Amino acid sequence: MTPTAAALAVLLLPLASAATITLFLGRRPQGAATLSVVTAFLVAALALWLAFSGARFSQSWEWLRLGSFSVGVGIKFDDLAALMLSVVGVIGLCVHVFSLGYMAGDPGRARYFGGLSIFMFSMVGIVLADNLFMMFIFWELVGFSSYFLINHWRERQSAADASKKAFIVNRVGDFGFLLGIILCYWANGTVSLGTVGQTPPVVFSRLIPLLLFCGAVGKSAQLPLQIWLPDAMEGPTPVSALIHAATMVAAGIYMLCRVDFLMVGQARQVIAWVGALTALYAALCAITHRDIKKVLAYSTISQLGYMVAAFGLGSVGAAMFHLTTHAFFKALLFLGAGSVILGCHHEQDIFRLGGLRRRMPLTFWTFTVAVAAITGVPFLAGFFSKDAILALSYERSGAIFTVLALTAVLTAFYMLRLWKIVFLGEPRSEAASHSHESGVSVTAPLVLLAALSLVGGYWRAYPGGFGGVFSLIPEAEGAARAVVLATSIAVLLVGAGAALSFYRCDGDDSLKVGFPSLFGLLSVARTSFDTAYDYYVAKVQQRLAMVLNFIDIVGLAGVVVRGLAGATEIVGFGIRALHTGRLSSYVYWFLGGVVILWAYAAGVL
Amino acid sequence: MSPSLDSYVLLSAALFAIGFLGVLVRRNTLVIYMCLELMLVASTLALVAFSRFNGTEAGDVFVFFILTVAAAEVAVGLAIIVALFRARQTVQVDELDLLKK
Repeated sequence: MTPTAAALAVLLLPLASAATITLFLGRRPQGAATLSVVTAFLVAALALWLAFSGARFSQSWEWLRLGSFSVGVGIKFDDLAALMLSVVGVIGLCVHVFSLGYMAGDPGRARYFGGLSIFMFSMVGIVLADNLFMMFIFWELVGFSSYFLINHWRERQSAADASKKAFIVNRVGDFGFLLGIILCYWANGTVSLGTVGQTPPVVFSRLIPLLLFCGAVGKSAQLPLQIWLPDAMEGPTPVSALIHAATMVAAGIYMLCRVDFLMVGQARQVIAWVGALTALYAALCAITHRDIKKVLAYSTISQLGYMVAAFGLGSVGAAMFHLTTHAFFKALLFLGAGSVILGCHHEQDIFRLGGLRRRMPLTFWTFTVAVAAITGVPFLAGFFSKDAILALSYERSGAIFTVLALTAVLTAFYMLRLWKIVFLGEPRSEAASHSHESGVSVTAPLVLLAALSLVGGYWRAYPGGFGGVFSLIPEAEGAARAVVLATSIAVLLVGAGAALSFYRCDGDDSLKVGFPSLFGLLSVARTSFDTAYDYYVAKVQQRLAMVLNFIDIVGLAGVVVRGLAGATEIVGFGIRALHTGRLSSYVYWFLGGVVILWAYAAGVL
Repeated sequence: MSPSLDSYVLLSAALFAIGFLGVLVRRNTLVIYMCLELMLVASTLALVAFSRFNGTEAGDVFVFFILTVAAAEVAVGLAIIVALFRARQTVQVDELDLLKK
């Protein structure tokens, strides 16, 4: 099998699976699940084989040509794509297997697995795309899959609302993305990732990267479009792990790394600050939430902010490294949360859980590994990637370094809060006291991801080599190295220590009890964006729409449309008077016509 | 002395005008039809007169054709009027105003 054929198979197998499920297996959930999982396994195997065998190639076919304008489809498989494809394949397989247990007995299982397959197809399309138009098409497709899967439990109003919110908020970002692609085409004459950067664009060099960044702001939930991701937690938990933690939301970072050569200094500065502020803001939001999945969602936004900041500071390597390790431990956190939710009969309020350490030991230990990895415990995956970003920011910008270090403190704080309240103490509800460990299809992915979270940071040990990406990872030297290391250990100890000593395992939030004003302030900060958008939409946009509607009804519909119809009607009314229906009157008209003709022929007229 | 061309043409014009007036004022379809025939014959008279005074025979030949066609036309026209009467029980044009409705 040639690499090109293998890459095409990776792309098209999930599509075939989705089509088969939709057309033939809608009533056979077991068959749909099996097909989808087998497909995910094949995709993962082929992706890993492609990545590790060192096959790197690019191939393009013309899709349509309109005069001098041509759009191609193609595959660009370099180290970056290989790394991303491996991540998507491995996480995808874990989530598919996990879904077997998590969704067992759900009446909409066939639809669910069809959605997972169509998502895998779209995501692989983004990874392999060799030009921005093709990437945009798959970009919209992942948006659709996300909408489809958030809305899986469609009988719940909140799920329907959340899916619409996710879709609409993403449209805002995608509009900028599309403008950026069009501008890029205008300035460069091509959007192919292979050729676009060869001659530096003269005009709009600052605008293009910022517009493309708009797409990443929407998809990767950066400020100010981060509001959709917490709501997207209405979807099934495996979907949150796959789409809204590990792969799709990271596609924004991947896209930025793809167009790295278009970046200019000022644009990078904006991107770095957006990322850093998002990281800090989302970490603050995570502290006060009671819902286990929404805490993780804010954590995801925060970590995505880390990656965006790393990219803005100029390192594709650091951003992609953190993307990879984050995919492992965040997918593990979400799947662990899924296991908790499954074991506790869909109880998601952390203050109604508790004491799960003894009742769900495997979930507890794997979750602990993930918490250790995300907070940056030395020698786990998150430690290395976070250190790389901290070292980078220490070198480039003191202010961003401070913000990111503060975020790291908060990360340790809210993760340990979550961990302690969910797993330690005594069960605080009926559901938690009757919880039980889940089956093997749920725990096996947890163990695999825990292993990856343990060793994922040792990028030098990765087989096959992703040198094109990992050689770009910054490493601090000398004194800077000591400072960064000391900082990262210090923030971990401060954050984790504060959380462990401060929070009590009882039925209420210790922060709410101890410092109600601080808790209130953080809660207001968390909802401030939603409130502001709500005000804007309900008060500003809705009124503008009403004014426009009035103009439409009176001006367009009233004057132009009804006016034209009225004029025609009046003319018709007049002409109808000539039609008497009497034969003799027609003969008179005939006579008149003859007289006029005669007069004209005779030269009288 | 034989009549001049002018008197033939005047006679033809008078017959045509009478026929046309009949079409205008009469209400009975049959009578209107007869008036139409009168107009046709008036034009045929003019044709014959012009032919004679020009010394050609073409007009006379035309007249034969016109009379033949007119006979065929009368057969069709009368058939239509009969059919009309069967359908509407009247041939008064005042009452045949379906076009307006």
